[in-house]
Amino acid sequence: MFWSHSSRAVRQQWRVYRGLGRRAAGPSLPLPLSPSMARAFHAARPLLAVKPVLLADIGEGIVECEIIQWFVEPGARVEEFSPLCEVQSDKASVEITSRFAGVVQKLHYDAGEMAKVGKPFVDIDIQGDAKEEDLGALVAPETPPQQQESKSKTTTQAPVRPPAEETAAAQVAILTEHETQSAPPKVKGKHASLATPAVRHLSKELNVDISEIDGTGRDGRVLKEDIHKFVGGRDAPATQAPSAAPSATGALTPSEALAAGPQQETPVALTRTQEMMFKAMTRSLTIPHFLYADEVDFTSLVELRGRLNRVLSKAGLSDGQVSKLSYLPFIIKAVSMSLYKYPVLNARVDVDSASAANNNNNNNTNKPTLVLRSQHNIGVAMDTPSGLLVPVIKNVGSLNILGIAAELARLQALAVAGRLAPQDMAGGTITVSNIGNIGGTYLSPVVVEREVAILGIGRMRTVPAFSTVPGEEDRVVRRQVTNFSWCADHRVVDGATLARAAEVVRSIVEEPDVMVMHLR
Amino acid sequence: MALPSCLKAFTRRISNSSPKPHLTCPSPTEIRRYTQHLSRPLQIYRSASTDPYLNLSIEHHLLQRSHPDSTILFLYANRPSVVIGRNQNPWLEVNLGALRQGLPPTQDERGEETARKNTPIALVRRRSGGGTVFHDAGNTNYSVICPPPAFDRDKHAEMVVRALGRLGVAGVRVNERHDIVMDVDTNKTFKVSGSAYKLTRARSLHHGTCLLRSENLGRVSGLLRSPAEAFIKARGVESVRSPIRNVGVDGEAFVDAVVGEFRNMYGDGAGREVVVGEEEALASEEVVKGLRELTSPDWIFGQTPQFTFSTHPTEDDPRERPEIAHALPYDFHAQFTVRHGEIQSAAIAGLEYHDFVDAASQDEILSNALVKQRVHYIKDWSTTLTRASPVPVDVDDAGEFLNHMFGIRPPADKGGAVAELMTGMISDTVVGEFLNGNIDL
Repeated sequence: MFWSHSSRAVRQQWRVYRGLGRRAAGPSLPLPLSPSMARAFHAARPLLAVKPVLLADIGEGIVECEIIQWFVEPGARVEEFSPLCEVQSDKASVEITSRFAGVVQKLHYDAGEMAKVGKPFVDIDIQGDAKEEDLGALVAPETPPQQQESKSKTTTQAPVRPPAEETAAAQVAILTEHETQSAPPKVKGKHASLATPAVRHLSKELNVDISEIDGTGRDGRVLKEDIHKFVGGRDAPATQAPSAAPSATGALTPSEALAAGPQQETPVALTRTQEMMFKAMTRSLTIPHFLYADEVDFTSLVELRGRLNRVLSKAGLSDGQVSKLSYLPFIIKAVSMSLYKYPVLNARVDVDSASAANNNNNNNTNKPTLVLRSQHNIGVAMDTPSGLLVPVIKNVGSLNILGIAAELARLQALAVAGRLAPQDMAGGTITVSNIGNIGGTYLSPVVVEREVAILGIGRMRTVPAFSTVPGEEDRVVRRQVTNFSWCADHRVVDGATLARAAEVVRSIVEEPDVMVMHLR
Repeated sequence: MALPSCLKAFTRRISNSSPKPHLTCPSPTEIRRYTQHLSRPLQIYRSASTDPYLNLSIEHHLLQRSHPDSTILFLYANRPSVVIGRNQNPWLEVNLGALRQGLPPTQDERGEETARKNTPIALVRRRSGGGTVFHDAGNTNYSVICPPPAFDRDKHAEMVVRALGRLGVAGVRVNERHDIVMDVDTNKTFKVSGSAYKLTRARSLHHGTCLLRSENLGRVSGLLRSPAEAFIKARGVESVRSPIRNVGVDGEAFVDAVVGEFRNMYGDGAGREVVVGEEEALASEEVVKGLRELTSPDWIFGQTPQFTFSTHPTEDDPRERPEIAHALPYDFHAQFTVRHGEIQSAAIAGLEYHDFVDAASQDEILSNALVKQRVHYIKDWSTTLTRASPVPVDVDDAGEFLNHMFGIRPPADKGGAVAELMTGMISDTVVGEFLNGNIDL
């Protein structure tokens, strides 16, 4: 193909080249070739340094085409005519080969990206000679008039070439000595907006625009830590609260700890929540605890919940109603139902009411009394970014499951946002702590002061068990089980009472249809 | 000279494999290597094989090994196949479930067992660009290889139009997309041939289909409409759909007419047509190398450019999605990015976990476990999702939906992953048996 250039085309090229050489190279570079050499095809000049090779026109006004695959990678040696890549435009798949011998330095596009015609697509460290016609019509982007001139040169060259479609071989790789390669703009990773549902949920809760955050995950994905860091930076003066990650504030990260020398002590003030927890737990120390734990079969509840959630998903949502039930509302309702039978668990111990009046008697008898309470205000322990909080669902006895679920959702949202009101936290009569959300089977929860009992819920597990169907007692079936760990104040609650109350809760949870019998 | 026994078995096999090709089998004297002709300035070949992978490999071999100044005409017909372009997405372009079913048995073969089973449809990715087409015995393909300076997208399409004119077909012309169309009545135009190209440094290839007497026109749109179309956003070329129609001439007549026009254009220097037989093609190492590439799942599925599948509108793909809620768990969302058939990232949400857990973080764990899995090797999404989740999870509905989207039928039937389906179908053919080493040449 090269041989088919007419001498007029070569002369045109030569004129442009010479003009450029004069302008760009300046007086230091003497004109290397005399005009008499214009007709020689191998007017070779040794070219050093890395040259960006432009993707030349593949015909029919196509301005960009997709790179299907690369045949080389940076560092690969190429010869003249080595295949570089395959591109696709409309119906044609085109193999593009190298015009030069040398070493590939950089690929400007990944496979699958659209490559622009006329822009660099690969950088080659040219180590052979370049033929003069390969220099072609040069484009010098610094001087626009020069660009115009060279552009017109390329168009006049077109009719010289046969009107057939230009294939890869007929491409003229245009060298640019001075073209500044614009660095590709810093593009947010392809998956920057692809954050997992958990991360997006968190971003909504913390009121953060996910697109503002620079992701540190793979391909620029935004992770939970990124959101927390972002929020931490935004709310820096407001709180010293640690992020959701369990690392304590000021603690050394594991890698730092490994590198550290002698034991270092860093005093850190307690957060407000931690202070409250400290005071409350110290007071709770006066309560003698005992633990009663049991395994509850959740299989029926799992089925019921599934059925009810399907019903909920089909029904329209009324204001404030949750769209999906978790297990906690059922458990809370079951606890409330057992409290009707065993109201001592809903009471509180009052030790000092009469003592103030009796003190001058020097009696020193702090006569304890049990104060029964009519309403079941069930506190639900929640792990929030600011620490352990226990908001209270008021008057569970008068709420149905949906109401409990709605209230639970409301309190959860407020807790995570850090906007719980004091009345949301006060007045609890018994507490439920669902640690199973995070993990654990058995636990020994601490009874909250002004209460006498607390229920801790472990993680649900699938276990094999023997069937209870009569006649099939040897058959092994799957069961979902969860461990309930009760703790109570042994000063006023005895083991038998707690065990019976726990059994009531268990029977309701294991056979939730019992609740139907108690509907009003 | 009597045919050696292995060749006897071969020619018997060729004539038994359905459909009966209308291109002739080589006679014993012609079974020399067709490759001896590769340096002639003009060459005309026909293939005796109906295997699409083999025919494309022969074509590729001709492209790469023929003399740079030569011009070649190659004609072939394939058994039922769906052929996608170099850069296309089989999950988007093809209804893999319908492809798996094959074509219903033909009526004309009386009493033969082969007619009672469904005819399998091959899935082929060709090396040239363009869109997806359906081939069968009623469709003949023409291919012209020439030097780049002489190349023009319309030139040889015009040649075929002249050939059709010779056969008395009226109203055919080349349109602006370089396809051959037939104008029927006042304003109805049907496509009868599509073109695709492959351009290398030294050679240019233009090949095209031509619908002559296909019996399966009614099935084509069903095969080429994927259920996942509304959910997949892909890079790469999308097929352009057109109404199609048979030209209505006989295969042999068409081949003769095209050869005649070719000789008119280029002179008679081509000499006789050379018929390329299956065994002589398979004797060439290069052809076999290309064949192995074309039949590998990594080529057919793994060359798919990046695409995203999402059940709900996203920023990159805000199209309305068809209603899926009735089939799926409430709140089920799925989004994958797949590149070269391998999942690069996944985001699944809304599955029901049988455990007292934080659903969102379990979703994240499950999604992360899906990364690096290759979609064409997934046998059953239910199993894959179950394995990806550390806690028990309800996946039957979601798994069924995803299987339907990706053309998988779990092993209840024969089936399994699409890659295995392909490999299985190919192994059932003569070419497949050769590649597996079960036949000696």
